[in-house]
Amino acid sequence: MKKTLTMILGCLMFAILAVSPAIGAGLLWVRESGGNTAMVPWFFLWIISAGCLFAILLPVYLAARSTLGRLQVYVDSADDRLAPSAPRGPFWLRPVLKTFVETVEGFRARERELQMNYRDMEIRNHVGTTARMQIEAVLEVMTDAVIVTNTFDEVVLVNSAAGRLLGCDPTNVIDQPLQEILTDQSILEAIHSTRSEGNLVECRTLNQVLGGVEHAGEGPSCEFTLACVADHREEVAAMVTIIRDRTREEELSRMKSEFVSKASHELRTPLSSMRAYVEMLVDGEARDEESQKDFYRIIQGETERLTRLVDNMLNISRIEAGIVHVDRELVDLGSLVEQAVETLEPQAREKNITVHKSLTPVDLGVQGDRDMLYQVVLNLLSNAVKYTPQGGRVTLSVDSDNLTRAVHVSVSDTGLGVPPQDHERIFETFYRIENYKRFAEGTGLGLNLCRHIVETVHKGQIGLDSKLGMGSRFWFSIPMGEEAASRAA
Amino acid sequence: MPYRILVVDDELHILHVLSLKLRNAGFEVHTARDGEEGHQLARTIMPDLVITDVQMPYMTGLELSSALAHDPTTASLPIIILTARGYLLDRNDIDSSNIVEVVSKPFSPRSVIDLVHSTLERGADRTSPLEAA
Repeated sequence: MKKTLTMILGCLMFAILAVSPAIGAGLLWVRESGGNTAMVPWFFLWIISAGCLFAILLPVYLAARSTLGRLQVYVDSADDRLAPSAPRGPFWLRPVLKTFVETVEGFRARERELQMNYRDMEIRNHVGTTARMQIEAVLEVMTDAVIVTNTFDEVVLVNSAAGRLLGCDPTNVIDQPLQEILTDQSILEAIHSTRSEGNLVECRTLNQVLGGVEHAGEGPSCEFTLACVADHREEVAAMVTIIRDRTREEELSRMKSEFVSKASHELRTPLSSMRAYVEMLVDGEARDEESQKDFYRIIQGETERLTRLVDNMLNISRIEAGIVHVDRELVDLGSLVEQAVETLEPQAREKNITVHKSLTPVDLGVQGDRDMLYQVVLNLLSNAVKYTPQGGRVTLSVDSDNLTRAVHVSVSDTGLGVPPQDHERIFETFYRIENYKRFAEGTGLGLNLCRHIVETVHKGQIGLDSKLGMGSRFWFSIPMGEEAASRAA
Repeated sequence: MPYRILVVDDELHILHVLSLKLRNAGFEVHTARDGEEGHQLARTIMPDLVITDVQMPYMTGLELSSALAHDPTTASLPIIILTARGYLLDRNDIDSSNIVEVVSKPFSPRSVIDLVHSTLERGADRTSPLEAA
């Protein structure tokens, strides 16, 4: 108030100072005009009015300028926390100021709201982008093929698995008609009909061969899952087709069933003998003591056969499952061969079979499991003796190869030989050459176990060279032990 | 005159135990180690019944059954099958031959003797093994 009063007095004095030269000039004009004083009052009245007007307008101007300056500062302050309070200004400006401040406050509230919305959208966008990237990452690592199509059957999304299965580039098929990548008419019709039915609750599942793709044989056997995707109006907006290639699954299932079937057959055979002979003993069918002893011997033999079978099955499954305990040490394959020959010498002598050993006088050491490798040598030697006729010859040789840095063991015989079509199959589980079964008993697992021990456990190689009627040569090689390998180098 | 039974199996112990059981029961028993030998023997000795394993060298038990069914001299010969894989036999295998019973291994020699008796008593009036099961 005091400031305003001072400003008004200042303006009045300024007005008087400004008017004084005008009054002096008026008086001078009257004197020079010959004393005509009729106009003098009007002149003073005009001068005084002008002075008063000036005295009034000047403070108004100054007050308005000052208020506008503060208003400018108020408007310019973007940060609410530091913003000055709204300027009050002179009383005659207050209605305008009030309206103006209210408008500014309104804008500011709107700005704050917009900023919050913007931040919210930014967060949502970030969350959405992250979620999308996660979903895309999941889709990419999925082994099942995923195809998303819109209501016009145009491709919206295809993952890598679908690209691989259908032979297309996932990045180049977006917006393309579905039939460009999926040519199996029955599946296209199933997708179309599922979309038309618009069942948003349940998926449709089909199991059939996928046609129109490059595949060995008739095409991959697949499980198709078709699902409708709804929009916010609960209407079908897209179709998701998931294709699971079940070829490998079915192959494994078939192999498993085959294994169980073969295992069951092989287990039942000794069990049959055991049960039958036990029943014969119970029924008193063994008429004398010697017959009884024969029966007991057969039961004992079949029990041992069953034990061998179960042991082999367990060993193979342990190796396949990777849970077998491998006790690695430096093993001299030469001494293992000598040990195995010693063990099987009686059986060989019984059939008048000569067993030769040919051990190269070099380091025949390998890093491996002694018991497992002994079993391999024993199995191969036992097979050679079993399938070689009376008076035949079996030769075991052990040699080391500096080039391949491996120790080679081979077991050759003058036996029946293996037909060419059986060379690979002979290492499969329970595979036995049907026509040779009568020559000797066997579980059909020995060679498969040898392959697992050599290849899976010792990273070696096993194989067979044979001509029908000309004998066989089974061989295996194991990487040298570190010491021998360093010497070889 | 005792009934003549032909037993065919590549498992020597099974062959031995069945032969002994049948002989002790008063049958005349002949044995063969594979399907082909069994087929030849059946045509020669003209048995009253054949008991055969399924999985054998040269000729399987099912092939033997079919061969016997298609041979006019052995067409009416009843066959009992011994198998460790009973579920592998389907209706066609049985219908296309004279298989009257399928016995799963491990089997009881006692029950095989009972089956032999009942089969021989039934004679030509065969009951389908699937229906009997």
